[in-house]
Amino acid sequence: MNRDVFTYLIGGKAGEGVKKAGSVAANLFAGMGRSAFQYDDYQSLIRGGHNFSVVSTATHDVDSHYGKAELIVALDARSYAKHRNSLAPGGVLVCDADSVPDGRGAGTSNVDPDGPGTVVTVPVRAEAKDLPFPELRVGVAGAAALCAVTGRTDADLEELIRAEYPRDLENNVSYGRAIYDAVLAATDTRFQLERGDRVLPILAGNDCIALGAVASGLDVYAAYPMTPSSSLLHYLAKHDEELGVTVVHPESEIAVANIAVGAAAMGARAMVGSSGGGFALMEETLSFAGMAEVPLLCMLSARSGPSTGVPTYTEQADLRFALNQGHGEFARVVASPGSFADAYRVTAELMDIAWRFQTVGIVLTEKHLSECSATVELDVDGAPWPEPSLALGDGYRRYADTDDGVSPMLFPPSAELIKWNSYEHDEYGVTTEEGEAITLMHDKRNRKLAAIKEHVEGLTTVVWHGDPDAPLIFTYGSTTMSVLEAVRAGGLNAAVVQMIYLEPFPLWELEGLRGSRPVVVEQSSTGQFETLLREKAGIEALASIRRYDGRPFEPLELARELEKVLS
Amino acid sequence: MTKRSTTDAAGSLPDWAGQDDLTTYGVNTWCPGCGNFGILNAAKAAVRSLEEDGIDRERIVMAAGIGQHAKIFDYFGLSGVYSLHGRAVATAQGMKLANPDLSVIVFVGDGDAMGEGLAHLLFAAKRNADITVVMHDNGVYALTTGQRSPLSPEGYKGPSTPHGNTERPLNPLVLTLEAGATFVARGYSGDIEGLAGLIADGVRHKGFAFIDVLQPCVTFNNRYDEYNELTKPMDAEPLPFDDALALARVRETLPTGIFYRTERDSAEELLTRGRNPVRDSACRADRLAAVRKLLGS
Repeated sequence: MNRDVFTYLIGGKAGEGVKKAGSVAANLFAGMGRSAFQYDDYQSLIRGGHNFSVVSTATHDVDSHYGKAELIVALDARSYAKHRNSLAPGGVLVCDADSVPDGRGAGTSNVDPDGPGTVVTVPVRAEAKDLPFPELRVGVAGAAALCAVTGRTDADLEELIRAEYPRDLENNVSYGRAIYDAVLAATDTRFQLERGDRVLPILAGNDCIALGAVASGLDVYAAYPMTPSSSLLHYLAKHDEELGVTVVHPESEIAVANIAVGAAAMGARAMVGSSGGGFALMEETLSFAGMAEVPLLCMLSARSGPSTGVPTYTEQADLRFALNQGHGEFARVVASPGSFADAYRVTAELMDIAWRFQTVGIVLTEKHLSECSATVELDVDGAPWPEPSLALGDGYRRYADTDDGVSPMLFPPSAELIKWNSYEHDEYGVTTEEGEAITLMHDKRNRKLAAIKEHVEGLTTVVWHGDPDAPLIFTYGSTTMSVLEAVRAGGLNAAVVQMIYLEPFPLWELEGLRGSRPVVVEQSSTGQFETLLREKAGIEALASIRRYDGRPFEPLELARELEKVLS
Repeated sequence: MTKRSTTDAAGSLPDWAGQDDLTTYGVNTWCPGCGNFGILNAAKAAVRSLEEDGIDRERIVMAAGIGQHAKIFDYFGLSGVYSLHGRAVATAQGMKLANPDLSVIVFVGDGDAMGEGLAHLLFAAKRNADITVVMHDNGVYALTTGQRSPLSPEGYKGPSTPHGNTERPLNPLVLTLEAGATFVARGYSGDIEGLAGLIADGVRHKGFAFIDVLQPCVTFNNRYDEYNELTKPMDAEPLPFDDALALARVRETLPTGIFYRTERDSAEELLTRGRNPVRDSACRADRLAAVRKLLGS
């Protein structure tokens, strides 16, 4: 068989290395020059429960995982029960012999009477139970099953284990070999995966955000752990020396935001990151940055809300929250990447904007992009380099009134007096309550809005995918990936309009679309994006497709829904 | 329209200067007799004494919270950040982290730092952030018209507690000692010379310095007589930790001076491992090379 997209799913308990098993598969595919997209579904717990990882791969771009898998590895009974119906026609489900509820013994293989493929039972747990840390072995079974059904040799498997599971290598190799042999013996199904033409690195969305920030000058990253933003903190902390970034995890998000403002006021390019609840705690300080005109880059990665919500699942319900961050009137710039490459570029653009215009930039993303991983091709040199307006000469005034509202910056140590102020202030930064001065400063800050708009007009704010004369689908953020894959998989005649910049709202790109009737796809129960389009651009949706169960869209299901409303 | 200095007595003063080279043109709105004047004068004297030691004022920056104390930001001729209520200690840590070559003095109020910002204060002590916190301790929320503060005594009557404060006061010296502060002192705004010495010593100290400054509020909590009677410079300082803690618990007298001082690596030394994030910030080419290296290309 030679399939277009091959999907691998592995499920098990938390703490059994399920995500690792997914990344082993993704690395294997990437090493073959194929593209890969990995989605990890996990619960907010440390041990037990049910986790699964899905990796879809093809020789062409793949922007989503798929719901039906050609190979499923079920490490426990729950995974078997939950995923047996996810088997693609002709697929193979490898499950632990002792965990299958109907008691079929190890080594048996048969076409599942309830399903479209073959069920293979192998001694996943029995082979591991006499080894030290048996629960840490079972992930190796995934690699073994994958090598077996994709026609890799036992030497290939050993090489893979050597690279990916080097701890207690000999036991891992013998265990992997046993599972490999059992799968080979139990099924003749083989999927021949062709090699692709470019070997690309695998990165998570948050990794791309980190690298974009570093490329555009990040000096200090402050964050408090909160899923799904934590992996940005972890990535930067792990690579702090090689990337030249100082990473700090203080007592709260409030401390985070104030540390970042203090650092930026002394000249360090600072960034913060969180999810809804933690971001809400920073809100007071974002307003402070707006008033004091402190450049501040923020990453807001949304999860299923409101409140604590569903921590490890995705949603796009923080769009209005991001657009309205902070009390009072000040310039905020909000952009939402729709791909891994966007995540790198948009983060760098917002760092540039934050420093160019001395205000708050928010990278709005979601769990689905933050925590999915894929083979990515970044335009490394495409990251802009901020060259903020800096003061020369003496008689410095922090808030000098200028034509574009941008007052040149200066940082200590300096013979000049540099006062950053959260109160309304005069040009020197000394607190004022004079009406004339208040008006002047409002007008000065507001002039930056026009300057920001002019700058953003030169950026990629809206992306048209496909034939512009075809029926339109509007979307943004991580849902863009699902929509693009759905259009591709379903062979749909549609143009996808992906909005990246949401504030300032790029009306200039949407001229001529007033009165158009697109389909709007988003992960919000109230249609925040759809109503924004209506308010800002007078665009009324022909139909809305919304998903808000915490799961990303599945491309084939979405394609069927789109087909219904587009026809 | 910007207010400019009207002072022409000294032609060499910068445009922003008021009565002297460490005072701005900002119009002072503290009540006559306010303890804040003593703290401002002591801070100015501390800066002059630090300059004699070769610590240039350009390298001394400040942060302030929000409250009557914080107006010092507008009057004091130092660069810095006028932060939010309770947040100045966090802001100051960001300032120090960004450029560890700077000395950071943080002016906070007792309502500000022991209420809204208590976590920041204790964690700064815990991690030994290399900043000097000067707490204007007037035992009241003065700017908002006299409500009880976390340090007000039981029974204190203010507009939010007309029947008397129902809570016990916190003990700032005990809290910061227990949290890990490496320099803990008490000063008095009525003893400008002594307080100036404490602030200068706090800045010279590597690590977290906390100075609880007793400060009468002439309008809402006038304790000049009590403080004049009970404060007295300590005979010997600093003390061993347990003795400092015991003395901090004494309420019958109010000794001033350095209760405790010890040496420990600062938060910034440990976090930056010798780098100065601003000074040593990598150029674009080096950053792109680092990104490419991580990408394996």
